[in-house]
Parts: sequence; C-alpha cells; structure tokens
Amino acid sequence: MANPLKIIKNGIIDENPTFVQVIGMCPTLAVTSSAINGIGMGLSTAAVLIFANLFISLLRKIIPDKVRIPCFIVVIAAFVTVIEFLLKAYLPALNASLGLYIPLIVVNCIILARAEAFAFKNGPVAAICDGIGMGLGFTIALGVLGLVREFIGAGTLFDITVLPAAFPRTLLFVMAPGAFFTLGCLMAALNHFRNKKKA
Amino acid sequence: MNMKEVIRPAVILLIIAGVAAAALGAVQSITAEPIRLQEEQTRAASMKAVMPDATSFEEITDADLTGSLTAVYKADNGGFVITTEPSGFGGAVNTMVGIDADGVITGLRVTKHSETPGLGAKSTDPSFYDQFTGMSGTLAVTKDGGEVVPITSSTITSRAVTSGANDALEWFAANGGAY
Repeated sequence: MANPLKIIKNGIIDENPTFVQVIGMCPTLAVTSSAINGIGMGLSTAAVLIFANLFISLLRKIIPDKVRIPCFIVVIAAFVTVIEFLLKAYLPALNASLGLYIPLIVVNCIILARAEAFAFKNGPVAAICDGIGMGLGFTIALGVLGLVREFIGAGTLFDITVLPAAFPRTLLFVMAPGAFFTLGCLMAALNHFRNKKKA
Repeated sequence: MNMKEVIRPAVILLIIAGVAAAALGAVQSITAEPIRLQEEQTRAASMKAVMPDATSFEEITDADLTGSLTAVYKADNGGFVITTEPSGFGGAVNTMVGIDADGVITGLRVTKHSETPGLGAKSTDPSFYDQFTGMSGTLAVTKDGGEVVPITSSTITSRAVTSGANDALEWFAANGGAY
C-alpha cells in the first residue's frame, strides 16, 4: 500500500480534481460566488467522499464488476440522503447554510470517479486517505475560486468589505460567466507554473 | 452465456439496494418527528420575526388566497401573517409578511428562494428587508416610482419581493376586516 501522506498530497496537488482532472465542474462553477459558499460545498463534498470511499472499499470484494456502477450510485445516493435527514433533524443551523448543496453532492461526479478509480481497487485505509486528499483538493480549489470571484465581483472577502466603496465592482464575476473566466485564468496560471517546473 | 453470470450480479445488486432502502427507511422514520418539530420551530420563529408583538398565530384555512398568497395566519394581536410566493429571477421567492390591524407592515422576510447567490440572494439581508417595516398602501421599487430601494443589479428579485408584499397588503385591504 502506498504511503497515506502521498495519497493525500496526490489528491490536493498532483491530481487536483478541479484544476488537473477537471471533473465536478457543475458545483464548482455554480456555487463559488463567494469564498464561504465554495468552502461549504467543498467540505460537505469531502465528508461524503470520505465515507463513500470507505464503504465502497469495504464492499469491493462483494460487488461484481458488471454491476459496480449501479452499486456505487446506490451507496452514494443512500449515504447523501441519510446525511440530509440527519442534518435536518439534529443540526438545523448547519442545514440552513449547507442544505442547498447536499442534493448537489449526489450528482457530483468526483465521488463516482473516485469510487471507480480508487476505492474499488484499494483497501479501506487508502480509500479514506484518497477521500481526504481529493476532498481537500476540491475544497481548496472551490475556496480559491470563491475568494477571487467575491473579491473582484463584490469587493469583499468572507463577507467583510475590503475594497473602498469608490472602487468599481465587476459584478460579472459573481455571475455565471465570471466562474468560467476565473477558472480558466487559474488553470492557465497553474499550468504555466507546472510547465516551468518541468523544463 | 452462463445463467450464473447473469443471476449472481443481479442478486447482489438487489441485496445492496434492499439494504440501502431499509437503512433509508429506518433513518427516515427516526428523523421524521425531529424534522417536523424543527420545521415548525423555524416557521414559528420567522412569524415572530415579522410580527414581534404577537404571541400566537392561527392559520385561516378558508381564506381566499388571491394573487401569489399561499397561506394566511391570524395573530392574537389583531394582525395577520401572510405567506406569498411571487416569481423571482430563479423561481418562486417565498416571502412572509406581517401586517398589523392598521394595515402597516410589521416585518418582512424572504424564507426560501433560489435567486442568484451574491445578487438576488441578498434579499435575505436585513439591509434589504428591514426597509419594508412601517410601509403600507401600494409599494413599488424606486425604478418604478416607489420607495423600495432595490438590491443592486437584482431589480427582478426586488420587484418580486415587493409584489409579494403588495399581494399581502391587497388581501388585507379586501379581506382583513372579515376575520
């Protein structure tokens, strides 16, 4: 088994789900209008990812190859629904701020992708590490996207005004096109640094 | 093709789906009651927020729901709490309006919406909804010649909330005396 720290680092940097693998784009583009929204979505996804990876890794010897995808979907959907019920019943405050994202997690292809590419082929400990790494990688990417968009679009960081009121806000950045612009620029910058390192 | 190869995966999938369904059913039945209580508490808290002077509210089940109205509650101080569902930019904007016995708005809250985050979603900020308190008659946003200051770049959402408040005020003017 590979070194757990290496697996975590792999998820955050080398195979970052957003900037390198470019998967899970729908929630990435839709909810990163502010830093808090991005981090909230990232952390809820990370929680589901860690547990889904664990369950699928534990079941990997029972699940037949031919029906693995439907099995993954059943496990993931059941898991997200249980989380939604529990949040609603016992943590209403957290549900009020994250409730919006919970149903979106089911359709996040990162979770299915990690189940297929990693959890189904590795032991439970490695699968948990992969969930932590990929989850954190996703959270960091969404947080940075939200931070940039919020700063340019609304002049605030974590809802605290940082730009003077006279400074013009580029509202486009908190709207859908701004998500694409920001993501594209961040990816270009990261690729530039990566290529430089290689050369 | 070997029959065993077909049946085995199908049976395992069936078992996994069955276990998942059973687990969901169990969790649902355990959490149903706490969820209902939480929702009731949330609704009671927002009613109290739009009408701080009242202590209890009772739904008027036979109220004539005009415009975008979804429910009318009679408060023990003679006022009404009215929930409306005007259409915003991204769908329905659930708005709760408190109106006292004189037809003046005692408070307004957006309880549920799917407006653009960072724009229309600001309708849940006190800086927007607090301005409705104390207003009466027919309301309009400043762009339409009224006094409601809209959220920057979210005129559609602001208009929706304003129309919800108007529908509530209209209902009160027409039916308020009857209850």
